[in-house]
Amino acid sequence: MNPLTPQQLAETERRLTHDVTRRHFFGQCGVGLGALALTQMLGNDGYGRDIKVDPLHPMAPRPPQFPAKAKNVIYLFMAGGPSQLELFDDKPKLRELTGQTPPPSLLEGKRFAFLKGDEKLLGSQRKFDRIGQCGMTMSELLPHLRGVADEICWVKGMTTDVFNHAPAKIFMNTGFQAPGRASMGSWVTYGLGSESRDLPGFVVLQSGPRGPRGGATLWSSGFLPTSHQGVPFRNSGDAILNLRSPKGIAPAQEQGFYKSVSELNQARLDEVGDPEIMTRINAYEMAARMQTSAPELMDLARETPETLALYGVEPGKPSYAANCLLARRLIERGVRFVQLYHTDWDHHGDTKNNLSAALDDRCAETDRASAALVADLRQRGLWKDTLVIWGGEFGRTPMGENRMTIGRDHHVDAFTMWMAGGGAKPGVVYGETDELGFGVVENKVHVHDLHATILHLLGFDHEQLTYRFQGRHFRLTDVHGQVVKALVA
Amino acid sequence: MNRSALLSVLLGAASVLQARAAVPETVGFNEHIRPILSNTCFFCHGPDEKHRDGKRRLDLREEAIADHDGVRAIVPGDPDKSELMLRILSHDPDEQMPPPKSKRAALTADEIATFRKWIAQGAKYEGHWAFQPLNAAAPPVVKETAWPRNPIDQFILARLEREGMKHSPAADRATLIRRVSLDLTGLLPTPEEVAAFVDDPAPDAYDRLVTRLLGDPHYGERWGRHWLDQARYADSNGYSIDSERAMWPYRDWVIKAINEDMPFDRFTVEQLAGDLLPKPAKSQLIATAFHRNSLINEEGGVKPEQFRVEEAIDRLNTTAEVWLGLTVGCAQCHSHKFDPITHQEFYRMFAFFNQGEDVNSKGATLEVARGEVFGTGPTAEERNAEAALKRKADEAAWEKDQLAIQEAAEAQGESPDALAYALRTEPNKRNAEQARLVLEAFEKAVPKYSKAKKPAKKETDADVVDLMVMKDLAKKRDTFLFLRGDFLRPNQTLGPLQPGVLAAVAEPMQAQPAEFQNRLDLARWLVAPQNPLTSRVTMNRVWMRYFGRGIVETEDDFGSQGTPPTHPALLDWLAGEFMRQGWSMKAMHRIIVTSATYRQSSKARPDLAEKDARNLLLARQSRVRLEAEIIRDAALCASGLLNPEIGGPSVRPPQPEGVYSFTQNKKVWPDVTGPNRYRRGLYTMFFRSAPHPLFSTFDAPDFQQVCTRRGRSNTPLQALMMANDVAFFEFAQGIAVRASREAWQLLSPSFPEPRQAGDWRSQGASLPVRRAFLLANSRPPSAKEEAVLVRYFEAQVRAFAADPASAQAMLPNTMPADLEPVSTAALVGSARAILNSDSFITRE
Repeated sequence: MNPLTPQQLAETERRLTHDVTRRHFFGQCGVGLGALALTQMLGNDGYGRDIKVDPLHPMAPRPPQFPAKAKNVIYLFMAGGPSQLELFDDKPKLRELTGQTPPPSLLEGKRFAFLKGDEKLLGSQRKFDRIGQCGMTMSELLPHLRGVADEICWVKGMTTDVFNHAPAKIFMNTGFQAPGRASMGSWVTYGLGSESRDLPGFVVLQSGPRGPRGGATLWSSGFLPTSHQGVPFRNSGDAILNLRSPKGIAPAQEQGFYKSVSELNQARLDEVGDPEIMTRINAYEMAARMQTSAPELMDLARETPETLALYGVEPGKPSYAANCLLARRLIERGVRFVQLYHTDWDHHGDTKNNLSAALDDRCAETDRASAALVADLRQRGLWKDTLVIWGGEFGRTPMGENRMTIGRDHHVDAFTMWMAGGGAKPGVVYGETDELGFGVVENKVHVHDLHATILHLLGFDHEQLTYRFQGRHFRLTDVHGQVVKALVA
Repeated sequence: MNRSALLSVLLGAASVLQARAAVPETVGFNEHIRPILSNTCFFCHGPDEKHRDGKRRLDLREEAIADHDGVRAIVPGDPDKSELMLRILSHDPDEQMPPPKSKRAALTADEIATFRKWIAQGAKYEGHWAFQPLNAAAPPVVKETAWPRNPIDQFILARLEREGMKHSPAADRATLIRRVSLDLTGLLPTPEEVAAFVDDPAPDAYDRLVTRLLGDPHYGERWGRHWLDQARYADSNGYSIDSERAMWPYRDWVIKAINEDMPFDRFTVEQLAGDLLPKPAKSQLIATAFHRNSLINEEGGVKPEQFRVEEAIDRLNTTAEVWLGLTVGCAQCHSHKFDPITHQEFYRMFAFFNQGEDVNSKGATLEVARGEVFGTGPTAEERNAEAALKRKADEAAWEKDQLAIQEAAEAQGESPDALAYALRTEPNKRNAEQARLVLEAFEKAVPKYSKAKKPAKKETDADVVDLMVMKDLAKKRDTFLFLRGDFLRPNQTLGPLQPGVLAAVAEPMQAQPAEFQNRLDLARWLVAPQNPLTSRVTMNRVWMRYFGRGIVETEDDFGSQGTPPTHPALLDWLAGEFMRQGWSMKAMHRIIVTSATYRQSSKARPDLAEKDARNLLLARQSRVRLEAEIIRDAALCASGLLNPEIGGPSVRPPQPEGVYSFTQNKKVWPDVTGPNRYRRGLYTMFFRSAPHPLFSTFDAPDFQQVCTRRGRSNTPLQALMMANDVAFFEFAQGIAVRASREAWQLLSPSFPEPRQAGDWRSQGASLPVRRAFLLANSRPPSAKEEAVLVRYFEAQVRAFAADPASAQAMLPNTMPADLEPVSTAALVGSARAILNSDSFITRE
């Protein structure tokens, strides 16, 4: 049997040696500069670059590796997989061949979640136009987004590897389809910390009839410290469960409470030297601040009637629009990464989920607010620093499904996403699909490439933003990914 | 004289001892050779073809011994003919291995001697450590012989001595009793128990404590909960509809089996295959609910076959993870990339679980009554028999009444109808038509007995519930390999597969069935004494609960991608001892918790911070944050509110509003009042789609699949829960009331004096605050901690005295008459601070 070798032992120790432990003892014993310098050296050993996180303040803002185009991210995740063929990728030829059997060469070796093999090609019944200077094709379903088409960086040649919802969502978020790795928001706060001292650095909002499939795995911090995990905010009642002090306790009273807890913990830390206690002290400080900052954040009535109208927000009524406005408010308050999930884009063609009424509804729920967010960020000067990302976990097939109503299956080989602001090149239409919209024929962007590009915009070399875990340097992009320079302003 | 004998002579008498220690009698490949090869040779002579560049491979035996133009790197049995020996002994820079340009250190004399001996002994290679038979090595000899209390300590200390590290002193007694109570029962000791133990001068004081705790029925709850994680036990069906199910009789079976110390082999067989045992007892059928804890999809339009297959696969994955510590799921679609688990083997194991009669929401159930599992109430059968008797009596009474009415009517001149004649006939002499007439009339008159009325779906807290249990089909289903894991693509060419197990695991096992038939064969194979994994995996997980980390840190991956054990010989000793002790869990718990290793202080040490910051070598104990349920249980203990009742239907203690904002449907959650409000955490109703926030905040899994290890996060959301959750605030109030009274009792034996007991304003806060702290932490506060709490108490007293209304908010709904409001309110605040301190939620 093979015991853990001294080398492995040393490596795991190094990996998890908290500075705080050192500080704790060096503070008392008066040694340690040499050892601290050692950690700094270990930060970059040629295989990757672990970020130096101060465990006392894991969310303290940190500079990126090189000058960044963007500082913050708002990721509008359209859960379920919106149909690019109804929204963005106009295919006249597909319309022409509607009802015909797809060429076998296209189907060879392909897998679909639900298609049984006898499905026919299905052209979109939606009306498309070329919009703006960029000439992006957009359907009638997105009248408001048309208004900002030239601000947007269009990625028409997206591909992914995974065709089931939860794994595909996990892949889009973490670069790996099985649970356990760190999500993009966690990587970004690991790399950059957060400007907000009163709110979590990574906030998740949800709208639509239910939570996204995959649940909390989607905003998990994986192997990264849990301080980097996404914190879900509810959009009605208290944003966070147990945010409010027990009934009848006034905020002034709470100061004494938090101070006493902190002092008790400090006393124990001095006694036993466990760095977890330091993390807990920080967690309580953040909790105390969240008690005042979160209600203020959630109070949309403070916005002007013009702004509310721009987004289509009715204060007090939870919606995607309200979440878009909240996302802007979160970014204004220094939160690093905001992810919005809007669910129910899974339009296979049954009574409730189809490319007719259901798609109309999803677009009506989201179109105005998505466009408003772009416009609002712009007018407030948040535009330059904030990268907006829009997209689902995959696209939908050029074949229709044989179900009750019009619908399409999950499709991994070609779909559309868009980015805006934060150094994403405006007015670019990047990527082209074949005449049936089946695959990408020009400028393919894989999920790993998108991740590499997003990290690039935030000032990171995706190969150098790493975390050493189980003897390996992990990355958001796994062992893949190319920065797509054409998408960078 | 052969060369190795010559070598020892040359090395000289002085170093013989050392040489003997360094060059083992029997050279093991994994233990002695692989580390040298791996560190020195594999870079150029290993599996990576990029670096190998056409050179000889030394990681594969057939390559190493192959003849290449008359040169053989290794000639088994003949070191002198082995090129490898010549090269490592050579001083010629062009020949010598490792070559000078590799900048790798030349092998030491000991290493060279080890190689020589290994080749002389036949140059045997070994596979992955976890698949090898248990190493029966005796515990090592240590220098500091006074420290070890049992073999565990010898293994731990030997390694520490080798690394030049010192173990820690024993934890103080107060810490120790809190630690071992939380670990064995999940409950806090009472202040009286703490005092008795701290003051107990007897040398066996700790042993008696352990004996008491192992005999405590709450032990079964604590260790049952660990097992229930692995069983993915929950109270709902899962997926998006997620309605309630009554699996709690299975939970109670687990608690009972663990309390009775059912040997682990029997525990295994009954859960995996109790239904296949000859003439199974009812409890053995209840045990098989283990594998009915899988999910059920109740959505409209689902394909039952798809979910039947999914659940059968979940049962396989769960079994492999729980007993073998292997992630076999990868082999669902293709042969495993790293571990010896082939695509076909996966489906051979799947064949065991492919015979289940249950299909998604339909399957075998068993009626179980409340109290039946523990034998504290009648069985479902007895209840049914009783109900049948009751019906018979009711029927007889009704017939008697009817006859009386009939006779009265006839006296009035009415002529008797067919029913009247039937009623007049003795029940056992009635013909079929008469019997039918009477029955119909009776059921019409007493509708609750009507057969026509469809029985309502049983509530999950009914007196008798339907427990889902395993049952195999009478006629076997064929099992095919699914191409790419797709159940719609069975491999017909290959044909139906026989059930089977993993060859790599089975290899070291001599005795095993020639042919596997069903789950019972599988279960028996898992607990066969030669199975190299089950006992190791199980003991590693037990160890993990006590030290915060397994000897194999990746306790869920004993495959080649997992981390190797820190103390391989200790792991094997524990695994062997487990079987020598007749698979007794209690025996192993006793050995571990009575070891000196376990009893060490968990305080960090400056010398270890650099050398072993993660505490892998256990030169001290670890501080471990409590699990979600145990945080609740500990607070219940401290407050004195705990309802210690064991088992029964799950309950709904208060939870904050908004839990169901993002689920498909809202769950019914009326907060319980009365004693069920204060049950232990493991009895809280668990909905998979939206668990009670205590669980999701403190890292409990959602039980969608097997969970063998919980995370331990440390977040602001936990702070908000501890500070503001209605349940924890209620517990703080409980602590304040209790501490106030108990402290007064200590102060004044003539307690209670009306309206005085709870008034601490004139007495000073020290006493009640110390008491509250002791209730929660099982130790008195340090001077610093006490100063913080007293200051806070006094500040609150001032504030509440100035604003009595604000004191009201702190007080329990029903304020005891013997307590004074202002100081009680202040004490609630102090207790809340104590519950929120890191010490409280940590096993130190």
